[in-house]
Amino acid sequence: MAKHETPLLDQLESGPWPSFVSDIKRQAETKPECWDILGVLELSYEERITHWKHGGIVGVFGYGGGVVGRYVDLPKRFPGVEHFHTMRVNQPSSKYYTTKFLRQLSDLWEKHGSGMTNMHGSTGDIILLGCRTEELEPMFWDMTHEMNQDLGGSGSNLRTPANCLGQSRCEWSCYDTEEVCYNLTMHYQDELHRPAFPYKFKFKFSGCPNDCVSAIARSDVAVIGTWRDDIQIDQAAVKEYIAGNYPGNGGAHSGRDWGKFDIQKEVIDLCPTECMWMEDGELKIDNSECTRCMHCINVMPRALRPGKDKGATICVGAKAPILDGAQFATMIVPFMKIEKENDYEELIDFIEKIWDWWMVEGKNRERCGECMQRFGLPEFLRIMGLEPLPQHIKEPRSNPYVFWKEEEVPGGWERDVVEFRKKHAA
Amino acid sequence: MALEKDALKNAIEEKATKSPKPQLYIKDFYVCDPDSKPRVIKNVANEMVREGRLMFWSSGSTTMYGIPSRIQDEDAKAEGGED
Repeated sequence: MAKHETPLLDQLESGPWPSFVSDIKRQAETKPECWDILGVLELSYEERITHWKHGGIVGVFGYGGGVVGRYVDLPKRFPGVEHFHTMRVNQPSSKYYTTKFLRQLSDLWEKHGSGMTNMHGSTGDIILLGCRTEELEPMFWDMTHEMNQDLGGSGSNLRTPANCLGQSRCEWSCYDTEEVCYNLTMHYQDELHRPAFPYKFKFKFSGCPNDCVSAIARSDVAVIGTWRDDIQIDQAAVKEYIAGNYPGNGGAHSGRDWGKFDIQKEVIDLCPTECMWMEDGELKIDNSECTRCMHCINVMPRALRPGKDKGATICVGAKAPILDGAQFATMIVPFMKIEKENDYEELIDFIEKIWDWWMVEGKNRERCGECMQRFGLPEFLRIMGLEPLPQHIKEPRSNPYVFWKEEEVPGGWERDVVEFRKKHAA
Repeated sequence: MALEKDALKNAIEEKATKSPKPQLYIKDFYVCDPDSKPRVIKNVANEMVREGRLMFWSSGSTTMYGIPSRIQDEDAKAEGGED
């Protein structure tokens, strides 16, 4: 029996899609506090203001992250959601679960919380929605002791690292994303659970430039798989595609007839750098011009594969649009080997060099990318000890973003103009 | 020369006690010892949380530190809205 009248929310159930309103109503049959969620939301729809407050001193002992406090500002009217804290649970690499794990976690959350989850939040974590303050520690105890499962990051911490399926399912993955993600998660447990930075910091791992975890758009350090030799071509398979014997795009989008596969129209003409052509019945690629857009490989996966000399491109500074709009990450290191043999030393050194700088220079609540923008790319490269490269900018021939310093110029800024003009007429 | 750990803890505690606002960013503690690296200060501040001398306070997106009694007073004032 509904506790509150919710005509505006009820209307959302009339559409053709599954509705979260129906889900919450169903949950409310066993968890009555869920009626109050609907009541608060209905009120917010009417008044067009939020009635949630967030933050505070909630958390589990010793952890400075993983719990986000939430309270309603009308506790007498909506007592079921007087406290409605969120717990972030560190998802396993690539989000592989056993059904046993999911059942255990769901049972625990039914016991200690509202039973409502968000699989997965934009952070990548398993988000458990709705818990009273006094249930946080028991939930944490059960989760850690019965399931060997830890919380993820929130606040000014390292956020829970995330990765794509990597080599577990994908032949294009240029490094083992799961292994790196797991190792760095374990390596940085302190930064993950205790606030260390001026603001949040994220790293994400994609195995190839398809970037299935959107690392380039969302993470302060995006590790995106790539290769530095030539795309592998199986010319016999190219012919099979042209003959129509292999379906394009691995058979995706096959719900309608797109006509005969046309390699010129569907692959060559769509190459952003125009580095492909057919010659004597064979597909040719000028690999020096390839920008790793992945389109040709996506369309003809049986004919084309990433090269053999694999590693990752490191991009820095993406963020969501809270200040100054959304920002993609900037390519900083075109190619880095990502290998377990040296415990990912090169990547770890790179990350910690950023931290050492940003922890000192970053303003409170300033993301690493915003700090980079404030200092400028040339200064950031100098801080990181990296040489400027043409790949750092879109149009290296027209963008003079690197300026000489006086000490780098023979004779400095002082010149004998008369002497100079003898050789170079004005 | 960087302060000894106990001296740094005392400086952090004094800063957190005297600051006008009860919640401080980790960066606010850097002035307690300019010769210590930020990560050292972060580790000491977190040790003080474990000892109960400091407490975390989270805005949801940012985590701050403060003296437990000051933060609890502030939180008690803020908690509970009007109906």
